Amino acid sequence: MFKYVKHTNYPINIKKKDVKMAKYLVTQFGGSNGELAASMRYFSQKFSMPDERGKALLNDIATEELGHCEMIATMIHQLTKDATIEELEACGLGSMFTEHGKGVYPSDSFGNPFTVSYFAVTGDVLADLSEDMAAEQKARAIYENLIDLTDDEDLLGPLLWLRQREVVHFNRFKELYDYYKKQGY
Amino acid sequence: MLFNNHDFDFSFFEIPGSDFKLEIDRNKFINSNEGFLRGNMMRDEYEPYRNYNPIPLMPSNDYEQKLYKVMELDFALVDLNLYLDMHPEDKEAYQLFQNYVEAEQKAKKEFTEKYGPILFTNVNYKNYEWINNPWPWDNIGGSKYV
Repeated sequence: MFKYVKHTNYPINIKKKDVKMAKYLVTQFGGSNGELAASMRYFSQKFSMPDERGKALLNDIATEELGHCEMIATMIHQLTKDATIEELEACGLGSMFTEHGKGVYPSDSFGNPFTVSYFAVTGDVLADLSEDMAAEQKARAIYENLIDLTDDEDLLGPLLWLRQREVVHFNRFKELYDYYKKQGY
Repeated sequence: MLFNNHDFDFSFFEIPGSDFKLEIDRNKFINSNEGFLRGNMMRDEYEPYRNYNPIPLMPSNDYEQKLYKVMELDFALVDLNLYLDMHPEDKEAYQLFQNYVEAEQKAKKEFTEKYGPILFTNVNYKNYEWINNPWPWDNIGGSKYV
C-alpha cells in the first residue's frame, strides 16, 4: 500500500512564469518516456519478478517514480499558475486551456494524452528488464533536451537531479538483468 | 566551493568500535548533503551532464532549512534502499542505512514539532493540521515574471 509523505523528493520552487517550458516539460509527466509511464511500468512488472531482489527493486523504483510524477506536475503548476489566457494561447496552449483549464493533465508535449500502450508487461524478466533499461536511457535523453531548452536555475536544479536518477535506475536495472542472466533466465 | 558545507554533521557516520568500516563507507558512498545535490549516493555513479554542476540549494528561512534536511536524509534512504535491494549482503551499507534512518527520524521530529505534519499520523498538535498549506506543489509565489 502507499502512504503520502508531505514533501517532494527534491525542492521545487519556481519563481519565474514560463508557459513554453511547461508545454515541453509535460511530456515527462504523461509522455511515452515520462515518469507516469515509468512508475506504472515497474509497478505492473513487479508481480512477475521471480525472486526477492527483483520484487524489491521494481517495487521501490516504481514508488520513487510516482514521486517524480509529482515533481514534474508541481513544476508545470508553478510555471503556469499565473499565466494569462493570452500567454497560454501565444504558446499554443489555447486548446489545452479549453480542455483542462489550469489543471495539470498527463500528456506529451504535443498534447497527446497519456496511454498505457507506452509500456509493455511481458511476464518475461529479461524482456521486461531490457525495456526498463531502455526506458531509463530514453528519459535521460529527454531530460537533457529539456535542460538544453532553459537557463532558469529553478528548473535546471530539479531537471539535472531527475536526469541523474535515470542514470542510477539504469545501473540498478542492469545489475538485476545481469544477475538474472547469470542465473540462467 | 559547492560542497564545502561546514554545517554538515558527520557524527552519525560514527560506528562505535569500528573505524575501519567507517572508512569503507566513506569511500563507497558520499555524504547525504553532497548526494542530495547530485541525485546519487554512490561515489562512482555520478555522471554529470556536459559542464553542468548541481545547482546549490539555498534555504531562505528556518522552515526551508529544516524541510531540506528531512528531504536530504529521506533521499539518502531512497538511494541506499535501491542499492541494498541488489546488495542485501553488504553489512557496511546496511549500517550506514540504519544510521541515516536514525538521523532522518530526528530531522523529521525537528521539522514536524515546529511546522506541522509530514505524515498524516503526525498528531502532536492541538488541532488537525494535516490539511494546512503549504502542500508540496505550492510555492511562495515569485516576483520575477517574464
